[in-house]
Amino acid sequence: MEINLGLEDLLRVAPLLVIFVTSLIPLGIKVLRGNQEPNPLVPLSIGVVGLITSVMLLWTFAGQGQTVFSKALVFDGLAFWSGSAALIVTIGALFIAYESPATNRNLFSEYVFLLLSSSLGMLVLVSALDLLVVFIGLEIMSLALYLLIAMGNEEKLSKEASFKYFLLGSLASSILLYGIAFIYGTTGTTYISDIIENVPNLVGSSRLFLMGSVFIIIGFCFKVSIAPFHAWTPDVYQGAPTSLSTYMSTAVKLVSMAAFLRFVSIQSLGYSENLLNVVQWLAVLTMIVGNVAALRQDSIKRMLAYSSIAHSGYILVGVLSSAISSQSAFAASSVIFYLISYAIMTFGAFAIVNIFEVNENTQLTVDDMAGFAKRRPMMAFCLTLFLLSMAGIPPTIGFFGKFYLFSAALSEGRLWVVLWGVINSVIGVYYYLRPVVVMYMHDNNKAEDSERFLPATETLIIVSMIFVLGLGFFSDFLFKAVERSL
Amino acid sequence: MLLSTIVFLPIVFGLILLAWPSERTLRPLALAFGLLEFILSLFLLHLYDPSTPKLQLVENYLWIERFGIRYFLGIDGISLWLVLLTNFLMPITILASWKAIEERVRGFHIALFVLQTAMLGTFLALDGVFFYLFWELSLVPMYFIIGIWGGTRRIYATVKFFIYTMFGSVLMLVALIYLMLVTQEVTGQMSSSILDFYKLDIPFIQGQFLSPQSLMFFAFALAFAIKVPVFPFHTWLPDAHVEAPTPGSVLLAGVMLKMGTYGFIRWAMPIFPEAAAHYAWVFLFIGAVGILYGAWVAMVQPDVKKLVAYSSVSHMGYIILGLFSMNEYGVTGALYQMLNHGISTGALFLLIGMVYERTHNRVIAKYGGLAGKMPMFALFFFIALISSIAVPLTNGFIGEFLILLGTFKAYKAVGAIVVLGVIFGAVYMLWMYKRIFFGKPGELVTHDKDHPLHDLNLREILVLVPLTVLIFWMGIFPGSFLRLSEASLKHFIANQGNYQLSVLEKESSYPMALKESNYGN
Repeated sequence: MEINLGLEDLLRVAPLLVIFVTSLIPLGIKVLRGNQEPNPLVPLSIGVVGLITSVMLLWTFAGQGQTVFSKALVFDGLAFWSGSAALIVTIGALFIAYESPATNRNLFSEYVFLLLSSSLGMLVLVSALDLLVVFIGLEIMSLALYLLIAMGNEEKLSKEASFKYFLLGSLASSILLYGIAFIYGTTGTTYISDIIENVPNLVGSSRLFLMGSVFIIIGFCFKVSIAPFHAWTPDVYQGAPTSLSTYMSTAVKLVSMAAFLRFVSIQSLGYSENLLNVVQWLAVLTMIVGNVAALRQDSIKRMLAYSSIAHSGYILVGVLSSAISSQSAFAASSVIFYLISYAIMTFGAFAIVNIFEVNENTQLTVDDMAGFAKRRPMMAFCLTLFLLSMAGIPPTIGFFGKFYLFSAALSEGRLWVVLWGVINSVIGVYYYLRPVVVMYMHDNNKAEDSERFLPATETLIIVSMIFVLGLGFFSDFLFKAVERSL
Repeated sequence: MLLSTIVFLPIVFGLILLAWPSERTLRPLALAFGLLEFILSLFLLHLYDPSTPKLQLVENYLWIERFGIRYFLGIDGISLWLVLLTNFLMPITILASWKAIEERVRGFHIALFVLQTAMLGTFLALDGVFFYLFWELSLVPMYFIIGIWGGTRRIYATVKFFIYTMFGSVLMLVALIYLMLVTQEVTGQMSSSILDFYKLDIPFIQGQFLSPQSLMFFAFALAFAIKVPVFPFHTWLPDAHVEAPTPGSVLLAGVMLKMGTYGFIRWAMPIFPEAAAHYAWVFLFIGAVGILYGAWVAMVQPDVKKLVAYSSVSHMGYIILGLFSMNEYGVTGALYQMLNHGISTGALFLLIGMVYERTHNRVIAKYGGLAGKMPMFALFFFIALISSIAVPLTNGFIGEFLILLGTFKAYKAVGAIVVLGVIFGAVYMLWMYKRIFFGKPGELVTHDKDHPLHDLNLREILVLVPLTVLIFWMGIFPGSFLRLSEASLKHFIANQGNYQLSVLEKESSYPMALKESNYGN
């Protein structure tokens, strides 16, 4: 096999290279200092600079659908939007980690290194055009995550979560790999663009190919917590340090969904009605499981985890509409739009949890929020807005996300899934309102300083709040930009 | 720009209040804002041209191009009075909350102003998604008003209110998206403008429920029926009313319930004319049941506020009946009754709030002989009450009479049954009046050491006088109100089955708005 590495290729993968190189610097500094942790500001600023450079490079070089390394990676609209959104969220997550008692101690350099490695995996994942590269990206991302989850100083939950995620995640990865093998066996290639040509005649005739697709779908379903592969989600989001829960529920979910979206573009769902039905009911099941389980959660992080499961269900509706949509990028762009809106509001909600965490052992419950609106009116307002946005109340971005998503599904004739979706969003309202009720309507005479004042986190929360409202009013621009680029 | 100003000015007021430094001057400032907004909306009367059913003062801009969603505001004879009602009740509500709301005054007024924007937007928006936006937005401030400043079971009531109403509206959203997809199929360009919806010819198969028009009609109708609330969907209302603070009850009964009936006349009935006509009997039936059921349940309520809440169920039944009798009398009466109910029930809730502020008790049996202690209060209460039970010379009479006339004209049997409702209405109201104001003084009236039962003060009289004046004015000179709506209502009746609206094109003081609106004719 001939290997040709042109300068062009190197330029296009520059965003990845930059992240890779900067990820090593904090660790290098720590080693050179004789394993002494530098001032946490140092790794933080290095990480942020690296990520920002990477986003800039991505905006400069990506978006036109260029392929790199003999079509192993592609920088198209999907990679552009999900990649840059994930990186920006990662920057936010870094700041939260810097201000979180669970992570900003003596392992912060390592934390930055792992977080950046994980985002490197994300960029590989969203731009991969070869199923094997997809797998590699997924693994780079996940391996760093297994470690990161365990890095909470808190004793039990964090280690348990890490181990759980590791065991289940490895199983899912191996199922995914198995599926790739099946597909390679039947089509003779792992390039997504080549597989597409073979799909129409293979779906009908080859069981193996269909099995392969199913395995890969299961692998992805695990990563984006689709029921019944969702069981790890609440434990991990609860056990992981809050900064990492933020990262996992936003960036990780965003890129996994984007890769899922790329995989379904091979249209195996479009040609197999049965498979489509199964995925469709998985989406409905996920919404129900997520929303109903969230009703009974007392821990905010667990509640947000189940809400994140429910949102996966909504997004899956969009993913499958995009899988069967023949005419345009409408459904795919509605998914991207929803992912971005979901990332913003979930980021905000988890960031507020961080304010409550006075030490690493804090397990925030809904009742702890009593009187929050009196003590910190601005933050309470922001959280209310994020929750209303998740519930899909206009004029927030969450409403428009759902609106576009359901429009896409309806235009593909998926009426029943949409009905399930809207009914579920009503169930969702109940638990999204619970913290609001407690914050505003229960009184509690806690001291003024029972929550922390975190300048960076609070700035990020307010920025997210502005986006939640602003993109609600100007959703047209974002949506059109996404659709044009796809 | 006038309509935009009217709709969004309250939000600006809210923001000013948010930043206002002095806690003490907050209430007068809010009152001034409320009055300013009301005076501003009186300009509508001046600018509005009653001779045409066309939409006026239109502002029509493309908002979300990809989906053809528009920033589309406009007014006609149907929405005009509802806008005025909203802005009329708002300063009264603010003045009435002077004593009722004692903590978090700032937040309360901000919630009121946000609610005002949402309600005005609902009445003025002429684009499906834009309308839906305001429709849903109105839940949020009301949710806080009940939940923060409400009674003991406020959280149960407010969550029930929110989820119940939201359930109806999400199905409407699905139907809305479907309508937008249909416009794309028919015209090639997706649009959610109501003018395009009116033009659609949605397939309707007689006797088949699962035809697109029937399903979408019921999706819209469910949302509106829950909001109204029509009989089997009314259960959120008594809870919400009883737990809400007085200003919340006034706005809920006075304006928010009208959003539902307005939705029928603006959206559900004209967009789905065949389905609305074919299934009119369903609404006549539940409207009639609601009238009688509401009256009977009201009769046995021990709590006076709950009694008035159930009387709302009964009165809203009349409005539904009037709308679905689908003749000129019925629909005119329904529109008139929307205003009447806002005023008379609003007044009743205000009065109940006033006595509750003194005694902190609403149980009818504990009162009695109150007329001796508070004669002025008794008088105002009586006026509001006769308006509510539709005694001639009051506004309630005109509305109810027109509705009954329309119902008799359309369906004699239904008319004959609901006339009984008028009697029951008089029964529970007068009986309640007797038990509270006459007879042997009850325990709250005899032992009033810790809650002195002084008569109405100047502020309370100021709150009640405008309402009382309006009760008689609307009752004696209904023409001065109906004149402005006549053209729109005639147009609505004459074009059943093929209702269209167009935008008034004429030289006016709004060249800007009209330039943008070369659309829809």
